[in-house]
Amino acid sequence: MYHFDWPLFLNYIWPPTAFQDPLIRNGLIATVVVSILAQALGVVLGLFAALGKMSKLDVVRLIAEIYVWYFRGTPLLVQMALLFFGLGVTHIYNFPDIVLGSVIITGALQAGTLALGINEGAYMAEIVRAGIESIDPGQMEAAKSLGMTSGLAMQRVILPQAAKVIIPPLGNEFNNMMKTTSLMEIISAGELFFGFNQVNARVFKPFELFIAASLYYLFLTTVWSIIQTRIESGLGERKGIERGPSMTQRFFRGINSGTGVR
Amino acid sequence: MVTPNVKLADSNIIVKAEKVNKHFGSLHVLKDVSLEVRKNEVVVVIGPSGSGKSTFLRCINHLEKINSGHIYVNGHMIGYHDRNGKLVEDNEKNIARQRAEIGMVFQRFNLFPHLTAIENIMEAPMRVRKAPTEHVRTEAERLLVRVGLADKRDQYPNQLSGGQQQRVAIARALAMKPSLMLFDEPTSALDPEMIGEVLDVMKELAHEMTMIVVSHEMGFARAAANRIVFMDQGQIVEEATPDEFFRNPREERTRLFLSQILH
Repeated sequence: MYHFDWPLFLNYIWPPTAFQDPLIRNGLIATVVVSILAQALGVVLGLFAALGKMSKLDVVRLIAEIYVWYFRGTPLLVQMALLFFGLGVTHIYNFPDIVLGSVIITGALQAGTLALGINEGAYMAEIVRAGIESIDPGQMEAAKSLGMTSGLAMQRVILPQAAKVIIPPLGNEFNNMMKTTSLMEIISAGELFFGFNQVNARVFKPFELFIAASLYYLFLTTVWSIIQTRIESGLGERKGIERGPSMTQRFFRGINSGTGVR
Repeated sequence: MVTPNVKLADSNIIVKAEKVNKHFGSLHVLKDVSLEVRKNEVVVVIGPSGSGKSTFLRCINHLEKINSGHIYVNGHMIGYHDRNGKLVEDNEKNIARQRAEIGMVFQRFNLFPHLTAIENIMEAPMRVRKAPTEHVRTEAERLLVRVGLADKRDQYPNQLSGGQQQRVAIARALAMKPSLMLFDEPTSALDPEMIGEVLDVMKELAHEMTMIVVSHEMGFARAAANRIVFMDQGQIVEEATPDEFFRNPREERTRLFLSQILH
């Protein structure tokens, strides 16, 4: 009969005590910050890739197609290892640590963020493209008939409308992103899962510690779901878009599960 | 880059289309269409669906490409320039600049749903003309009064009726101070009780604007048109004043069409 180590478990799920361990505290901060940065990078890259896929220029379209094809067609874990270990060994770029006062941003953390962001961009590209394509072509015609170039029309007329279509799936992507950061464990990037793994290496209590770790992720995704529901209902009220799934649907029907591990 | 057409000595000619041809794949939708429209003239284009009338209208501001022929607006060739006798499509900036001088009103209004009525009207003068905000706003308010919607200035399109939306769309096009207005079946998507309010605005406008109107509204054609152009199967079949056109159509196809719609 396994003896569950309650004191250790409670110590590590209760933030005031858990955070005394810098591995957990910094790991949680890293997970949140990396998620936000990688998602932001993904949105920017996704926007460019989506516009690139619609370009009139064959070269631009080809580059965008290959980008999306490659990064959706290969595992994120492999991409991350390739970026960090692969680039390191070629000396193209070895991801030196960045020191900002008392904060050290490790090379692994930079590489992980970059890999997550670039990978995310390939998924966002499809989301953005679908958003743009959902807009009535009459909108572009009206903008053009008023003397707008297609770039200006995209910026002023199409994208503001497409944003409403893009935001709900973008929220789901971010939810996924927070969980997917745990893959950075393999490059020892110092995020939350890495932190728990290090603690486990010290005390060897994988059952207690990984339950505790999972609860931290559950907390993050739950808080985000609440924020997301607020954002979407706000959008719906103002601009008349369909309401997203309710909170209970989100939690129990796996609507946020997205595509799972990539 | 804009090549003035030396042949156009008469500055009163706003639109000149010469032997315009257009194909959609194997479908020949415009066959040698030629038309001249003079300053302040109101031309109503009618014809059965599929006759090419909307396509022709959309060629005038280059929303559709043409396969051969020329279209001039204010003496400038639209969408193309001549390079050693060959027609080359203009760059986007040039086309956009030309379109800014040509207002267009669509069947489905195509207002920008994320902007209020007044923002819809202000958008192009501000972003395309880069005119100062206060000036643009004053002008937009004046236009809203003119189309009878001063009280709707801060409403979003989905808070307006179809007729109101179309009137905002007319104001939006007028805000660019175009020298020509194109109307593509402006009342076809409207409930019957709203057609009148839109036509009233258009009739008012007809006194001072050069207009080409694709429409099935025979009442409007009779009241406001200087000339009626009847198109069928991609060709202009007949051109006449409203009086002649309705009383004494020359062509058999025109008579057939009129007998189908006027009863």
